[in-house]
Amino acid sequence: MVIGMITLVTGGTRCGKAKYAESVLDSFEGRKYCIATMGHSGDEAGGVIARHYMLCKDKNFIALNQPRDIGASRIEEGCGVILECLDLLCLNEMYLGADSAADRIIGGIKKLAEKAAELVIVTNEVGSDGINYSHDTMNFIRQVAELNSRIAVFADNVIECVYGIPIVRKGVLR
Amino acid sequence: MKMIIGGAYQGKIRCACEYFGFKESEMVNGSICDFEEVFAARCIKSYHKLISRLLAEGVDPVAFTEKLCEANKDVVIIMDEIGCGIVPVEKAERLRREATGRCGCIIAEKSDTVIRVICGIPSFIKGAPPQV
Repeated sequence: MVIGMITLVTGGTRCGKAKYAESVLDSFEGRKYCIATMGHSGDEAGGVIARHYMLCKDKNFIALNQPRDIGASRIEEGCGVILECLDLLCLNEMYLGADSAADRIIGGIKKLAEKAAELVIVTNEVGSDGINYSHDTMNFIRQVAELNSRIAVFADNVIECVYGIPIVRKGVLR
Repeated sequence: MKMIIGGAYQGKIRCACEYFGFKESEMVNGSICDFEEVFAARCIKSYHKLISRLLAEGVDPVAFTEKLCEANKDVVIIMDEIGCGIVPVEKAERLRREATGRCGCIIAEKSDTVIRVICGIPSFIKGAPPQV
């Protein structure tokens, strides 16, 4: 059982989280996976998933897509993993049971960490626009915040990306 | 080039005045200025609003920002952070947040100093306070 290094990367839209996540695994010598968490519905979904596979191939990552049950991702021991992204995974899990999504995801993340030597989890800050949403959306915001906080407790590093600048909130820059 | 960022009304303009000696009245206002004014400006406030206006006029804000960074290397740019919320339902709003993120990254990369202001408190996330 590995329990590798865990890095949580957060921040706003298009603020350099994916780029930072990739840089963490720049000199990683083992097999590298990028696990997307996209559902299969909506007009844009097929194109987005296809683009994910293409980008991963260009950057020497093995592309996976695991919209739910993240712990079941097919990765090999000692690998490097980017999980992108946690809030979309939360949304997908909430369709199966809104109030227990965070617990299921934390269990799944720990299973990934038992196999991966390096696990980089990309999440988002979704609670800072000051808008009052519907009950379900506020529940989503609450669960993402809970997930981020719970993972931050056992993560080795927590990085916030602000317009491309990584800021250490816990641990170190890689 | 210097950049001052943060949520709305956190004290970014006051920070620009205190650290760089500007008066708010002399700042070019991204909400209302002519687009060309920014190329000769010493300080631009509400740059995120300028990005919205460029998009509304069909002007590529990323190309515009790259041109600004090249042409006006000593400018101080003040902009809000707007990307920390639920993905908007409207496509135009999604595009606006994405464009603002990309432009902000370009400006931050070109700046020698980036100050983030929260509750009126500045923190230098790139560079250091000016020497007195």
